[in-house]
Parts: sequence; C-alpha cells; structure tokens
Amino acid sequence: MIRARGVQKSFGSAVVLDGIDLDVNVGEVVSILGSSGSGKSTLIRCMNGLERLDGGLITIDDFDVSNPKDLAEARKRSATVFQLFNLYPHMTAVENVTLAPIQVLRIPRAQAESEARALLDSVGLGARADAYPAQLSGGQRQRVGICRALAMKPRYLLLDEITSALDPEMTAEVLNILAQLARTGTTMVFVTHEIEFARTISSRIVFLDKGRLVVDLPTDRFFAGDGGMANARIAQFLSKMRKE
Amino acid sequence: MRYTSFTSYDLILLAQGLGVSVALFLVTTLIGFLIGTIWAVMRFYRVPLLTPLITFLAELLKNSPVLVQLFLVFFGLPALLKINVTPVEAAVITLSGNTAAFIYVIAVAAIESIGRDQIESARVFGLSRWQILRHVVAPQAMAFAIGPLTGLLVNQLQVTSLISVIGVVDLTKIGNILNLRTLKPFIVWTVVGGLYYIAAKLIALGGARLERRLRAHTAWKGL
Repeated sequence: MIRARGVQKSFGSAVVLDGIDLDVNVGEVVSILGSSGSGKSTLIRCMNGLERLDGGLITIDDFDVSNPKDLAEARKRSATVFQLFNLYPHMTAVENVTLAPIQVLRIPRAQAESEARALLDSVGLGARADAYPAQLSGGQRQRVGICRALAMKPRYLLLDEITSALDPEMTAEVLNILAQLARTGTTMVFVTHEIEFARTISSRIVFLDKGRLVVDLPTDRFFAGDGGMANARIAQFLSKMRKE
Repeated sequence: MRYTSFTSYDLILLAQGLGVSVALFLVTTLIGFLIGTIWAVMRFYRVPLLTPLITFLAELLKNSPVLVQLFLVFFGLPALLKINVTPVEAAVITLSGNTAAFIYVIAVAAIESIGRDQIESARVFGLSRWQILRHVVAPQAMAFAIGPLTGLLVNQLQVTSLISVIGVVDLTKIGNILNLRTLKPFIVWTVVGGLYYIAAKLIALGGARLERRLRAHTAWKGL
C-alpha cells in the first residue's frame, strides 16, 4: 500500500502540504480533488520522489521514498503519468515505452518491444507505434504516456492531471482507457478536475484544500448530502466545477 | 622557365599544406570535443570544486587571443619548465584547449536547454543519472548543439592558420612560401583562401546534413 503520514512540504514560505495522512490500498482507485494550488500535484510529486518531503513520511509497500536506498524500489512499484505527457521527443512511441523496461528492469529488447507494441495496440495506437511524439495528437501522446507507465508493470499508477492539457474529445479517449484499467483492478491515485469521471471510477475520493486533507470518503459518501457535500468548501467547489 | 613561375609541383605543396591544416583541425577538434564534453559531463554531475575550476579555465581560454595562447605554449612553457615543445605540439595543445573551451560552453548550454520535465520523467521511471544523460539528455542536447557546433568548427578551421607563425608548414605557411618565391600575392592568397573556403564549406555542409538528421523527429521545427 501507499502510506502517507503527516506529509509537510513548503516552497519558500508557502506551505503547500500541511500534514497529509493518506492510505491507498492495492486495488483501490483514489481520486484527489481540490482547486488549483491545493497541493494535489505536489502530493503526487512527493509520492514519486520528485519533491523532497519537509516532514512526515511516505512509503510505497514499506519502501520509504525519502530514503535514497528505498527510492529506487519505490519507483519500480509506482509509475507516473504527467499532465504535459513529458514524452521523449527524440524517440518513437514504442521507444518511449521501452526505454525504462530495458534500462531499469533489464528486460531483453525484443521482449520489451513486443510488450510495448501490444500495450500501444490495446490503447488503439498499434498503427502509430513508430511515430514520433511531434507526429501525434495530444490525446495520442497521453495514451503513449499511459503505456509508458504500464510497461513498468507498476503496482500503483500515479496520474497527475493527465487530461488537463487535452480538449474534451481527447480527454474522452484517455478517460476510456482509465476506465478499462479501473475495471481490471489497477490501483490508481488520480489527481483530476474531471469530477464526474472520478465519481464513476473511484473507490474513494479525497479532497484537499490549502494543503490540508479535508475529507477522505468512499465515493458515494463523498457525493451524499450528509457526507462530503455537508462541507461548505466542498459543496462550493463542486457547484463551481459543474457550472464550468 | 623563371623561378618566379608557378609549377605543377606547387599544387602538391598546396595539397600538403591543406593536408596539414585539415589534419591539425581534425586532431584538435577530436581532442577538444572529448575534453569539452568531459568537462560538461562533470558539470552535469555537479562535481564539487572541479566545476568552478573548469568554468574558470574555460573562461580564460575563451577570453584571450589564440595567438597569445600559442606564444605562451610555444615560448613561455619551455622557458618556464625547461622543456622542449615542437611547433606541432604547441599547435595541438593550444588549438585543442581553445576548441575544448568553446565546446564546453556549447555543451553546457545544450544540456541546460533540456527541460526539467524530460529529466523528471526519466527519473520517476528509475533511470540512473548516467542513463538519463545517455538516453534522454545527450541525444536532445546534440540536436540543439549541432548548429552552434558547426559554426564553431568552421571558425576553428580558420584559426589553424595562426600556427603558421610558429613555423608549422600548414596551408597558410605554404601560401607564404609561394608568395615569397613568385611575388604574385593576389593569385597565391586567392588560391589559398579558396582552399580554406572549400574546406569550411564542406564542414558546414556536413554539419547541416547531420543537423537535419538529428532534428528530423524532434518537436522543434526551428523558430
């Protein structure tokens, strides 16, 4: 499981995460909601070791991400998909997907490639496997990004606002794949603004506000009038997001 | 035939001179490229103490005339260290150092042009710093650097002509010899200049081809 305890993170004098406690069990889809600047992305970046914690603890299957010796193992167990895709522009789709499996997991190239092609095929990109990122649409790029993460066979998928840079049609392409993954029991931490979609796939919803975890509820309780919606801040957030 | 006339043997002399110039250019470029790149990699790894030292050394080499450096190596070092430095050795040392300094600057700029997002997306998948450098940073940095690098190399070819003053028999020195014998400076220096031009043009063409290849698939199509 992913376990966060009392996570603290500041950038200069700005406190971004202020004592976050969160558990993500295997098989769960946990969506993290909150307005911009609430610390959602920073929390993900703490989980994958891109930001150093100022306090508290994050472990992935008991591997402490703050411990350099554990971090490598923690990173093998989780894989991140980024908001702006972060594909390697000088590599084809299939090369993007195979780089880490070949270099980090030491999977033979031929095997890594056939697995990568199968993955790309499963997200509808079989014919685009040898295209460069510049030749792909945003939605296609993000699907490559998802394949790149899945190729590491992670136990946990960390999704950092992965549809925020996409138009509605491309967003749908990407969300369909997540829905498939959720059905197959992939564990996901899903930072998003897609509230309705989060509602359909999540087992739990967590709401962050100003670096604090406001609620952590099962999805149906979160949207219930006497559950999450009873919190004024959440009700305000949801009504505002739905208007947009 | 008067001794001032051009002979077919002069063509061989010119070819020899060109060969010496090009050979020196190639050797010093290779050494300079290796040293400059190693310096840049050390900086990428943020090796303490060494990084500011390298930056200081590169600054010194960049900001003083190559001719002065050449005199320092050819006349100054032997006087100080009581050693013997041949003109070719002095030329190789000076030009390699000079090229290294400029390649270091280009390589550092190229590495820094690679977005943090690229390095982060490799880090989260567990790639080591070396693997990131080799597979993610270097290919993109090379595509960035190839333009400035070609410009630098064209310039460094011209700079080799300075070594004629310490007695290396390169193309310029041959031009000097032919000029003194024939007393036809316009023809001699036009031919010598033309030969440098052709060599420089070949470097530029090679660089442009390599650039097209390296950038064919990258997102940037230039500004």
